Amino acid sequence: MENILEIKNLCKKYDNFELKNISFTLPKGMIMGFIGENGAGKTTTIKAILDIIKSYRGEIKIFGLDNRKDERKIKEDIGIVLDDMFFPEILTPNDINNTMKGIYKNWDTKMFYDYLKEFSLLPNKQIKTFSKGMRKKLEIITALSHHPKLLILDEPTSGLDPVARAEIIKIFQNFIEKDDCSILLSSHITTDLEHIADYITFINNGEIVLSKTTNELLVKYGIVKCTEKEFKGIDKKDYIKYKKTKYEYEVLVPNKKEFRTKYNISIIDKITLDDLMVLMIKGEK
Amino acid sequence: MIGFIKKDLAMIKSNLKLIGILIVLYIIMGLMGKMDISFILPFMCVMIMISSFSYDNYNKWDAYSISLPNGRKNSVKSKYITTILLTLIVSIITIIISFIISYVNIQNINYEQILVTMLGTIFATLLVLTFMYPIIYKFGVEKARIAILLIVFGLVIIGGFFSQYIDISFITKSLSFLEDYLIIILILITILMVYTSYKISEKIFSKKEF
Repeated sequence: MENILEIKNLCKKYDNFELKNISFTLPKGMIMGFIGENGAGKTTTIKAILDIIKSYRGEIKIFGLDNRKDERKIKEDIGIVLDDMFFPEILTPNDINNTMKGIYKNWDTKMFYDYLKEFSLLPNKQIKTFSKGMRKKLEIITALSHHPKLLILDEPTSGLDPVARAEIIKIFQNFIEKDDCSILLSSHITTDLEHIADYITFINNGEIVLSKTTNELLVKYGIVKCTEKEFKGIDKKDYIKYKKTKYEYEVLVPNKKEFRTKYNISIIDKITLDDLMVLMIKGEK
Repeated sequence: MIGFIKKDLAMIKSNLKLIGILIVLYIIMGLMGKMDISFILPFMCVMIMISSFSYDNYNKWDAYSISLPNGRKNSVKSKYITTILLTLIVSIITIIISFIISYVNIQNINYEQILVTMLGTIFATLLVLTFMYPIIYKFGVEKARIAILLIVFGLVIIGGFFSQYIDISFITKSLSFLEDYLIIILILITILMVYTSYKISEKIFSKKEF
């Protein structure tokens, strides 16, 4: 399968934070949820992909090309929504259209105005008059209107109410159906991702903890709930992390089926991405 | 490239009302013969351009622009092109108004005088802006304000010190032969200044991280 995005051994050091050997790949036509708590390194990774930070080590390939050498060519085909970064708010959607027409070869004015109409965004109003949800929608519309082959979205739903979030997720879903596009979607709101992501890449404290298909994660992984005595009988290599709660032990296992055949513990729950994140970050080994 | 310029011009658009009011004020004051406020429009250029950096900074446009095709180069280039365009447009407006005022008031237009004054104004406006841009790109618009204040303050003190203890009249005397070529020299210096400033800003921005 052709890879749209390949990251190999990406490292970047700050005084108080470090990206350590980040490696993952995003196959063509897939949606990857990029999850992790605030400050885990999601935005730093995205900034490196887009060359917003420069002094990093490692290799980043987009559409099979080097992200720095072929920067111009690559960025023609990338749509971006970045957390808190956008056009100056004294501009209007009309200004954005005029600007983008002169920047992207494939800018689709009709598509942009159709989207504006669909989401009731007035073309001649300054961005600063828009609510947070409207602004986010405008950012997303702007990212979609040049028919990108790769969408990079950094926290597109953060700070929005559930209704606005659902609307925004719907925009992505409709877009993927129409265009053959891959998406890297970073979020700490994992419920959004369970429905749409094909892959989940989990970053914690500057390191990739896992990168797997959503199906594998949600079907294979499980949470065993057991007593202390039962827990002590479990082999260390059969679980990933565990957490002791008031009444029981919650144990994250990578393969529910195998676990069931090996141990006589009946309560194995399905996991959600939220459970996975909490156990991976807060759990012990 | 053209898109970036359009974005910077669109930001000026929101100042059009203020520019209009100032032009009217300028004409009225001039016709009444009360005061020459021809400096006000070039001064506006400086204010408008600096505030455009503030708006960019507030919504983190610089970081966003890098993620657009050829964004690192074009966002700096477009700031300089927009600055030159704005300065020229404002200067032409000022020249036209100066002609009208001097025609109405004294019915005798001193073309050369107006032209030289205008050239001086373009020079001064671009001098201030091109001096500030690399500092803004390096330190950001907020810190740049303080940096510029300190630099100007330092220059005034050094200048004051030298003029008190050292006789600089020999410099003016030895340069007096250049007077005939003043216009050409001014134009050449302006071009060189803008170009150097642009190259420095481009270099700073090419390494900048957000």
